[in-house]
Amino acid sequence: MIKKVLLLNIIIMVALVLIGCWNARELNALGIALIMGLDFENDKVLLTAEVIEPVPAREKSSMGKGTTVTYVQGIGDNLFDAFRDITLKFDRKLYIAHNKVIIFGEEFAKKSSINDIDLLVRDHEQRETAYLLIAKDSKAYEVMGIAAGLEEIPGNYVLELVENFKYNPKAINIKLAEYLKYFYDMGRQPVLGIIEKKEKKQINKIEKPSSNKEYQLSIVGAAAFNKEELVGYLNGVETKGFNFIMGRVKTGIVTFPTPNTSVDGSSTPTPSVESDISLKRPTKIHMSTMDIVKLKTKKDVEIIDNNIILKVKVKLRCSLEEVAGDIDISKEENIKEVEKACSEEIKRGVGNTLLKAQKEFKSDIFGFGSVFHRKYPKEWEKIKGNWNDIFAEADFQIEVKTDVIRTGLINTPISRVKGK
Amino acid sequence: MISKKIGINKQEIIGIFNNTSDLIIYEFETESNIRMMVCYIEGFIDRNLLDRDILKPVILSLEMPKDIKKAIYVSSMEEVYLMEEVADKLTYGSVAIFINGINKSYIINLNKWEKRTIEEPQAEAVVRGPKEGFIEDISTNKVMLRRRIRNRDLVFEDYTIGKQTKTKISIAYIQGIVNEQILKEVKIRIRNIDIDAILESGYIEQLIEDNPYSLISTIGDTQKPDVVAGKLLEGRVAMFCDGTPHVLTMPKFFIEDIQASEDYYARTYYATFLRFLRVFSLLLSIVLPGLYVALQTFHQEMIPTVLLITMAGAREGVPFPAIIEAFLMTLMLELIKESGIRLPRAVGSAVSIVGALVLGQAAVEAGIVSAPMVIVVAATAIAEFAVPSLTEGIILYRLILILLGGFMGLYAMTCGLIIIIVQIISLNSFGIPYGFPLAPGNKQGLKDSIIRFPLWTLIFRPKILEKKNMIRQRNIRKK
Repeated sequence: MIKKVLLLNIIIMVALVLIGCWNARELNALGIALIMGLDFENDKVLLTAEVIEPVPAREKSSMGKGTTVTYVQGIGDNLFDAFRDITLKFDRKLYIAHNKVIIFGEEFAKKSSINDIDLLVRDHEQRETAYLLIAKDSKAYEVMGIAAGLEEIPGNYVLELVENFKYNPKAINIKLAEYLKYFYDMGRQPVLGIIEKKEKKQINKIEKPSSNKEYQLSIVGAAAFNKEELVGYLNGVETKGFNFIMGRVKTGIVTFPTPNTSVDGSSTPTPSVESDISLKRPTKIHMSTMDIVKLKTKKDVEIIDNNIILKVKVKLRCSLEEVAGDIDISKEENIKEVEKACSEEIKRGVGNTLLKAQKEFKSDIFGFGSVFHRKYPKEWEKIKGNWNDIFAEADFQIEVKTDVIRTGLINTPISRVKGK
Repeated sequence: MISKKIGINKQEIIGIFNNTSDLIIYEFETESNIRMMVCYIEGFIDRNLLDRDILKPVILSLEMPKDIKKAIYVSSMEEVYLMEEVADKLTYGSVAIFINGINKSYIINLNKWEKRTIEEPQAEAVVRGPKEGFIEDISTNKVMLRRRIRNRDLVFEDYTIGKQTKTKISIAYIQGIVNEQILKEVKIRIRNIDIDAILESGYIEQLIEDNPYSLISTIGDTQKPDVVAGKLLEGRVAMFCDGTPHVLTMPKFFIEDIQASEDYYARTYYATFLRFLRVFSLLLSIVLPGLYVALQTFHQEMIPTVLLITMAGAREGVPFPAIIEAFLMTLMLELIKESGIRLPRAVGSAVSIVGALVLGQAAVEAGIVSAPMVIVVAATAIAEFAVPSLTEGIILYRLILILLGGFMGLYAMTCGLIIIIVQIISLNSFGIPYGFPLAPGNKQGLKDSIIRFPLWTLIFRPKILEKKNMIRQRNIRKK
């Protein structure tokens, strides 16, 4: 009996040792990377990483500064080669489990980036929740190292920018896993966020007569792909349209021309839009703003007489935040007008984006293909090879329904008096 | 045998006590010329009483030796015929009276010695509830219990254990509530003890325990009479031991360590909150240092980025690996605790100040240990005192988990915790599962486990202890 118990104990011990966690690393042997940039340089992969420089707390207070970072670069035939190149120049091993943002240089993105990021998914360290960004018109390392916000660490500054997406749908945040999902999807092409370096308007030049320009980063816009090929960029407004179609808007605002009604309530109709979608905004001075509370989008595809029609239905509930012009919003019919005007504005934006994707990119970045696949699986089999061409030629219908749920604390615009 | 002649008796008793110097023998003659002798042990009896109420009336008015009971003013007197028995009684603080011509000895209990006054036990201080605690004298302790349960069913049974020390042991139980089987088992185990000395109830605890090799004890230990009363009323058996304020209660459940007497005096929500707090601090004090070491050496990806940056900063320039750091600090903490207890009061506080300053501040500033490690160890130390009765086990479990976590990461810690939990659940206390009411689950028992239900809903005694007299109360709030 005792022998058996002893044997059992030994087996348990051995089992513990054999399958216990491996790869013990002390914290002070790691180079914690927060952001990585990938570039092509002379047909080799250039990896730039921002590494935390840990400062002991006792020195931190005496030096009067917070965490600092340092940049390491490695170059190699592929990504892993570049990683290991770093160990020859940098004293600590790069640790990328906390890497939250990966930036592709434009050249890297154009030269089939997907082939070179196999390691990021295969290796266990990199999180698939890291954001992917494209450095528009520049190398990745050129946009790194800028901290124009309050964050001391440039990498965190970029991360916060990307996460600010929820306040403004003019940008987009796509994670590594999402990118791959869209890449594998036959009926949908990937879209990635972009990042740009912008010169800052100098403030207080007299006091600080510096020749070196100050920069800040901007993530407005998005990059559209056709499979691995970078086909073009969406600007801020188009990105907003894209987010409307995809239903990705968390919160955000819609600014639209105020419908023209007099304060006493007799409404004059808004200048009629010639076609269903007018791509030009009617010239109006007064603009009002809605804050989106909830947004629901439905994409649909229909075959009518052998023509494929793409349908987008947007339903949103919003609160009226800012009103300018001649309108008394305490009147029910005027609110209807406001809702209509807001819907028109969204229609314009969505239509613009759709047209751009159709005519310019010839790439279904919205996933209408997937919708088509689900609805007409047999037809899909026939056309899936050239879906992008079919998409580019298809007609579309956009339906927007706006619901105003709050109008704020005052009825008439602040410049008007009721009854006059 | 006691001789009729005083002289022989005197020689014999001196012989029995090996001529010890604190044995007092006083020979005298009464008015009516009866030769007598009293024996007692110095400092063990009330000499005023002896002189005033025994010797004075005897000397003045005793006429016939057989009329001794008429002459002296005491409430109890025994007649003993054996010299050995006389010697035994003397060691309990009795006075033996020998009369020339009578072959027996009259034993009068006059014991009185210096006792510690009743104080609040420092290890079990309470905010609400009785503050008195047991003292070293067994009869005082028994009275304290009797004052709480004024019931003729409260029974004390006395034993004398220890061939040299002849220590008085007394088991207490409530007839009609106690589980007869457990009581029988307790009695058998006590009778089986064959040891020369019992100096503290810890001796008995180790001798009668079910699982002597377990890291945690399966016999309860308290210094408070209200706690003992509560346990007896649940059907347990208590054991008093002369010479110690620690009273044992058995059988014991694991859950008792997170129950405090105060829980029952406080409002139910607060009591429940306190119990959650104790469970949390129990987990914390066992797991925290190991977890910290494991996360730091194996699972950096699980630490939030900002915290990781701070931790990396703190680790910068620290010469030891995290596991050695954790081990060092944990041992230093135990050292401070231990020396704080052992050293004389005046020096003790100095040690803790020096320890806190040296370990808490200077070591961090010198870069020998990292500040988060000091915080972690300090947190465990504080958490540990929330469940004081488990301290012995906690420290050892903690060291084991630090080793496992430091060498093999979270995986091994999980395995270690599983083994610990399995080991705890597998324990028995006098045939009753230690994990009750959690491990053999019991709905009624769970009402008084981690959540303390309102007092009026705790209708039954622990089911596993007693089956016949289960009902504790009638739910008066139920319509």
